[in-house]
Amino acid sequence: MDNIVEVRDLVVRFGDFTAVNGISFDVREGEIFGFLGPNGAGKTTSIRTITTIQKYDSGSISIGGHNIRTDYLEARKLIGIAQQNISLDKDLTVRQNLKHHAILHKIPRKDIDRVVEETAHILELDDYMDHKVMNLSGGWKRKASIICAIIHQPKILLLDEPTAGLDTRSRYMLWDLVRMLNARGTTIFLTTHYIEEAEALCNRVAIIDHGKIVTKGTVDELRDSIGRITVDTTSDDGKRRMEYFPDIATAKEFAHTLGDRLYNIRRTTLEDVFLEVTGDKEGA
Amino acid sequence: MSILADSFRVAWIDLAFIKRNILVVLVTSLVTPALYIVAFGYGFGSGAEVEGFEYIAFMIPGVISISTMTSCFNNVAQKVMVQRTYYRSFDELFLCSMKPLSVILGKSWAGMIRSIISCTVLYAIGLIITKDMQFSLQAVAVILLSCLTYALMGVVAGMMSNSHLTLNLFTTLVITPMSFLSGTIFSLEALPEIAQGILYVLPLSHTTECIRSTILGTEFPWISLAITLVYAVAFVLVSRHLVMKGRNRYG
Repeated sequence: MDNIVEVRDLVVRFGDFTAVNGISFDVREGEIFGFLGPNGAGKTTSIRTITTIQKYDSGSISIGGHNIRTDYLEARKLIGIAQQNISLDKDLTVRQNLKHHAILHKIPRKDIDRVVEETAHILELDDYMDHKVMNLSGGWKRKASIICAIIHQPKILLLDEPTAGLDTRSRYMLWDLVRMLNARGTTIFLTTHYIEEAEALCNRVAIIDHGKIVTKGTVDELRDSIGRITVDTTSDDGKRRMEYFPDIATAKEFAHTLGDRLYNIRRTTLEDVFLEVTGDKEGA
Repeated sequence: MSILADSFRVAWIDLAFIKRNILVVLVTSLVTPALYIVAFGYGFGSGAEVEGFEYIAFMIPGVISISTMTSCFNNVAQKVMVQRTYYRSFDELFLCSMKPLSVILGKSWAGMIRSIISCTVLYAIGLIITKDMQFSLQAVAVILLSCLTYALMGVVAGMMSNSHLTLNLFTTLVITPMSFLSGTIFSLEALPEIAQGILYVLPLSHTTECIRSTILGTEFPWISLAITLVYAVAFVLVSRHLVMKGRNRYG
């Protein structure tokens, strides 16, 4: 699989503060790649930098083979972005917002209505086309904003915290949308601080903390990197404690050494990986 | 040409809003200028003469000038600030391969259209109620230039303000005093020379001079036109600088 995004040694500073500190990663064509990290880890800065909205201090970024410092106009044509804040005009209808995005992306005038209708139909937005954005629920607003971002059929869609602040039903609706877009050939790069979201959606995940990527790989690879099996117990001071093992046999061996202490042997989750690599495994 | 075409792509959504809410736009654009005409023109200045013209004919070009400024400035500055700071949608325009100049002009059009609507109505009222005013294409041209200048000033203010509070501060400290002190509803010649010197720095003094002379048929103030053009170019350059450097992004 070819890389559609290549980021090398990226550094972004705001004065003395280094928001992104030498990160490198690739996003492969056709995959859903997740950037997982706590608030303030550097996710939004990374996504804004990749989309050419934010300048960077050093390193290199290429989108579809176009270096974004020297060839940003070509790179931008391949990108669709739905930012964390919903950036639709709330006084106007969903249809008008979609139409505006189609106009901005220079879709030929004769094709605009057809493209808008088709996109809305395929992504199940038909019933809401004539609703004013301000009257939609949070989930539908977010869905409309994502559909606006793909109206020009970008090769890669960047989603910054697409489900932040949404209820469970809306979150599942957006997960379905992301899967549907990916199945139709769009590469997805999303940031999230919801571990279950990264686990449910992403082919590969990079965990970012304090501006640095602390680990990356498929969810299985990340689990393997710390141990597939977790023994979940409590330490003498009452804090939750996790120990990781490559297989169930070694996990059970360890569990026998715990004596009367309560423990739980289970499959390692992405949350365990996250807590382990961000150095917070006792703080859970 | 592509810059101009792209600017209309940017403006499409704002123009769609005006089209959808034309009645509200018309009412909100006309109430303040109508109050000026009634209160100052018929109330305060009834029967008076200024610079050889009846007062109502003297002040209507001034009110048109105020309208070009307040209508353009308020609409554009508010929109840019809100889209940039609250919605963050301003950045996304650059992802559509738009040049900064297209975005700056595109954000200016909607303010200009609103202002042109109110200026047209005011001009028509003036032509009906006083014989001293005359229709001229030069007046239309300088009104358009004035609208563009203040719309660009709105882009600058919208780019520099990070909240409603800072924008209100700008309006209170710059726009409101300029509306009253730039010879719009009284002749600047009535003021001491030092005050005239200070007030001639303000762009509204010059757009008022241009609009008034073309409507009343007096000698055209070429220096005022030149100064207005300098302001317009300066606002383009400053807003472009703010878009490029202030927001720390590529072109």
